[in-house]
Amino acid sequence: MPSTIPCLLLSFALMSTSAVAEVALTATPLSREQVTAFYLARGFPAAAIAAYAENCVLSFDFKNGGATKLHTNLDEWTAGDGVRIRPLAAWETVWEQQQLPQAARIAFRWAQFPPQQEFAPGDWIMGMAATDRPLAGPFRVAARYTDDHGSHELLTAPIACID
Amino acid sequence: MLAGLALAPLLARAQSGGMTALAERPPAPPLALPDLDDQQVDLAAFRGRVVLVNFWATWCPPCRKEFPSLGRLQKLFEPGQLAVLAVNVGEDADTVFAFTGATNFPVLLDRRADALRRWPVKGLPTTYGVDKAGRLALRAVGGREFDDPAVVAQLKELI
Repeated sequence: MPSTIPCLLLSFALMSTSAVAEVALTATPLSREQVTAFYLARGFPAAAIAAYAENCVLSFDFKNGGATKLHTNLDEWTAGDGVRIRPLAAWETVWEQQQLPQAARIAFRWAQFPPQQEFAPGDWIMGMAATDRPLAGPFRVAARYTDDHGSHELLTAPIACID
Repeated sequence: MLAGLALAPLLARAQSGGMTALAERPPAPPLALPDLDDQQVDLAAFRGRVVLVNFWATWCPPCRKEFPSLGRLQKLFEPGQLAVLAVNVGEDADTVFAFTGATNFPVLLDRRADALRRWPVKGLPTTYGVDKAGRLALRAVGGREFDDPAVVAQLKELI
C-alpha cells in the first residue's frame, strides 16, 4: 500500500531531510558554480558540463536505518510538479557522443546517485542527480522506495535550486 | 571537490555499523590490477586469507572518511589472516597517492573501471568481505568505520 509522509518543515531550505521508519533522504541543491568546479576538476570541458549544471543538480543522501532491505529506483523519483530525474544513461550517451575523456566519464558515472540500488539495513549512499529541466521556485522531492511491506514515498520539505 | 559541495554536514553522521552478511556466497569476480608501484596484484593469490575489497575514489567524501579505518583494520589482523585491498576507480597514480600517501595495504588502480564493472557495485564506496574460499561473504554500501567492533567481529568469523 503506497504511503506518503510529508515532512513537517513548511519553509523552503537549502537542504531538506525527510525520514520515515528510520529511512532518511537528504536533498541538497548544488549551485552551478559548485557543480561546474567539481566536474572541471574531473576533466570535463566547461561547455560540456554546462548542459548538466544548468538543470537543478541535487545531492542526495539516502540511508536505510531500518531493519529490512529496501530498493530505490531513480526513475520513480520526481521533483516539484512531476519533473523527473534525467536518467544517467541519457547523460552517458551525450558524453560518449562528445567523446569526453574516459576518466571524466568514469568520475561522472560514479558521482551520480545510483539509478537502482538495494540498501541492506545500515547501508547508505550519496550522489548527484539532475532534474530533467530547471525548476523555478521552491519544490519538494518525492522519493519512492520499496520494501517487504510495499511501496513508500519520502517527501522532502521545500527546497530551491541555486543559481 | 564533492567534499566542498555543502555536504560536510552529512558526513558528521557516524559511519559506524556492521556489514551485511550475504546469504548466498557467490564467487568473487576476477580482480587483478596494478598497485601504486605498478606491481600487479591478483585477488586470486590471496586464497586462504580473508580479504576486504574496498572500491573508492578520492573525490568521494564517504570514501575519504572511511579510508583511514582500512589501515587501522589491517593493524588488528596478522597479514596472513586478513588482507585489505583498496581499489581506486578511474584516477591516476599521482592523484591517488596525493591522498593516500604510504599505506599498510595495497592500493590498486582500476583506471578504466573495467574491474569495477565485473563486481556487483552500483555506488561508491562499496566494500566486500571475501572469505578464505574466494567467495563474497559480506557487503557494505556506503561509508563505514572498518575498525568498528561489529565489522571486526564479522571478519574474525570468516577466519
